Amino acid sequence: MSFPRRTDAISATILQKIKDSLDRLNEKMEVMIEIQRHEQHVSQEDIPNVLDVMTLLALPDHLRKTAVTLCKLDHATADLVAGQTKRARAVESGYLNQLVLMGYVKKERRGRKAFFYVEREENQNELKEPWEK
Amino acid sequence: MGKIIAIHSYKGGTGKTLLSVNLAALYANRGKKVALLDLDFRAPSLHAIFKTHQSEYWLNDYLNGVCEISKVLVDLSQTHVRRGRLLVGLANPGTEAIREMTAKDRKWEMKALGKLLSLKTSILDEMGFDYIVFDTSPGLQYSSINAIVSADLVLVVSGMDISDIKGTQRMIDELYDLFEKKTGLIMNKVFAEALASKSQRAELAKELMNNANLPLMEMIPCFCDILRTGGTSVFATENPDHPFIKTLDKVATSIEKL
Repeated sequence: MSFPRRTDAISATILQKIKDSLDRLNEKMEVMIEIQRHEQHVSQEDIPNVLDVMTLLALPDHLRKTAVTLCKLDHATADLVAGQTKRARAVESGYLNQLVLMGYVKKERRGRKAFFYVEREENQNELKEPWEK
Repeated sequence: MGKIIAIHSYKGGTGKTLLSVNLAALYANRGKKVALLDLDFRAPSLHAIFKTHQSEYWLNDYLNGVCEISKVLVDLSQTHVRRGRLLVGLANPGTEAIREMTAKDRKWEMKALGKLLSLKTSILDEMGFDYIVFDTSPGLQYSSINAIVSADLVLVVSGMDISDIKGTQRMIDELYDLFEKKTGLIMNKVFAEALASKSQRAELAKELMNNANLPLMEMIPCFCDILRTGGTSVFATENPDHPFIKTLDKVATSIEKL
């Protein structure tokens, strides 16, 4: 009597693993498509990687939401961004990494945590305003 | 939690500045602490309306990273409102400053966006203001889009001109919606005949909301007596019972409830 139940449970686990793998594959493909699209775009128009409002307007909807949220937060983990956008952390992590690959966002590791930010200055010294120096 | 309200329009001359000044004064007269910022760097006007050049620094300086925002704000509470606080951030009206602001590159605009976004922390959270009102430049240009992205709510002002209405509609669809902005449309300088009766008012509202699919918030008639003042007085303080202010008062209440 317990045999079919166990089979069901095993099937469900296998199916879940397949679904997770497909999700990961999908995420990676999205990144690749975005990079290809971006490279074509850059080579055609030679646009510098500046995350200004015109760039924000040109981004696909899903990336724009992430980018605007990061601009508002200034410096954030995927967790923090996900808290604002109400999307899954893994999804935001994928989108933030896409933005990093596109050159609009910087990533910095602090221990186990990855922080994302928009670099607004040429170097670290200029990050400080004149009255802060 | 404070709010940032951007007042924008597709075309110039729709009454953005008049609405910005009076909305800010209305909130101050309700006892609120309000900062009104002139973000129309191509055609600054608040210095003329408030007849003041007393700021140590301009908003241009804040965006250029020369000073903190607190150095820019001029306190006009004693002279322009009955209660509450009204502080104004002025744009530099000098020709050289205007020329300089029009020649900024994309990197500077990106930094300016960061500075406008940080006002939520500096003015609302740290300085304890209830509202920031952005008086923006018309149309789609960097300074106005930066203001829209930084705001919690956009009030878009349009006249009855068909090109203005169509442009406003396009701007809402292709700009505000992309940034998922809460938007309210204020139809300004509406011909008195179009608002003469309740049924006429309802018909016009229906046309704008259903047919043109616009997020209509309020319709304000054209008031010749306001035009006659030539922008020399703050109506919300000097003439609080004027029908223009009564209508704007409804807008202020709607925003408070959002």
